[in-house]
Amino acid sequence: MIPETLKRGNSARGALSRERDVREAYAAHSGELYGFAVRSLGDSGLAEEAVQETFVRAWRAGDRFDPKIGSLRTWLFAILRNVVIDLGRARSVRPGVAEGGVEPSVEPLDEALTAWQVEEAMRRIGNDHRRVIVETYYRGRPYAEVAEELGVPEGTVKSRVYYGLRALRVVLEEMGYED
Amino acid sequence: MKIRNDCREWRELLGAYALGHLQGDERAGLEAHLDGCGRCREELASLQPVALMLPHADPARFGPAPQPPPELGQRVAATIAAERERGEKHRRRRLFGGFALGGVTAAAVAAVLLLFVFGGGGGTTGPEQQVRFADLPAGIKIDATLQPHAYGTEIHMYVHGVPSGTLCRVWLRGPNGASYPAGTFRYRWGDDSDAVLSSALDLSRTRAVVVDTGKRTFVAPVNSPVAAVQIDNKEEAT
Repeated sequence: MIPETLKRGNSARGALSRERDVREAYAAHSGELYGFAVRSLGDSGLAEEAVQETFVRAWRAGDRFDPKIGSLRTWLFAILRNVVIDLGRARSVRPGVAEGGVEPSVEPLDEALTAWQVEEAMRRIGNDHRRVIVETYYRGRPYAEVAEELGVPEGTVKSRVYYGLRALRVVLEEMGYED
Repeated sequence: MKIRNDCREWRELLGAYALGHLQGDERAGLEAHLDGCGRCREELASLQPVALMLPHADPARFGPAPQPPPELGQRVAATIAAERERGEKHRRRRLFGGFALGGVTAAAVAAVLLLFVFGGGGGTTGPEQQVRFADLPAGIKIDATLQPHAYGTEIHMYVHGVPSGTLCRVWLRGPNGASYPAGTFRYRWGDDSDAVLSSALDLSRTRAVVVDTGKRTFVAPVNSPVAAVQIDNKEEAT
């Protein structure tokens, strides 16, 4: 959701040209951007650098943001993606700086984005739904065993898996994911 | 096998089915239902992309998301504020005109770069000074900003209004009247950039900035409230 002040108005400059707008954008999106930066860079210090650079670039290019084309969130993520690529390139010529993370490049970055989206969506769905998906899918446990542990019929575990996937689908769509 | 009478009961198996967890009769029964139920096929189709994304995620990361440190927001705000101030300052300077860097010698550029790269004495050592060239001929504007460094003085020159292509030579003048070369640049019409020059003379000892445009020499006092002095030492161009 784009704050009213971020929508293009009558001002000569663009939607993110005022520092107040950047502060609002930061309040709304920095958490997600930071989460993805940590996920893709594997380093909290680099992630802070990436988020800072993202907002500075967004401010410089505030004129070019057009909410008719896409959301502010999507635009910021596109900038962050480029920043992460730049940081990855810079780091690749400075071996030893990385702290065990995979060196990002375009392909792994897209994978990291998908991974981060699912992980973020998992955090947002209900505990009951997340639990059954983790137990049955990620831990590969039999439905009967999970049902017994949870004290519910096996059919309930299956229906929770179904409603859990639906909830994930809804959250992913809210996050801008498209098939 | 449990008899399932309505769509809802079959539909609630679609999650396990999409994850490949349904076996035997239950799986066969659901597939038979799907053959005859467009709504359930649609529902399955909407779940399959989600199921395909699951392998990318790491369940160890399903806990609370990492949060940016509180001071990061302040750093972002401070960085942008500083950049805005620099931009406004730059725009103010542009009012005085512009010129090209064409004549700056490679050696001067290299010297500045070396100082910049290797640090040491490269940082500024005090406040910068604006220098004004007053009483200039109509149409000509000259302005300079001097920044003190350990190596000497960095000079940002702004010239406007002399013929395009004019070679400009710049010196700093010391307390005893000696001149210290700061480099050259060539003014070009329409170029809005500024020339960055440097001289070995300390700003604290600099008494004047001298700009020679070939036909005229302009001198502006430094560290003095006295109005600019202009010396005509060559004939006016016709």
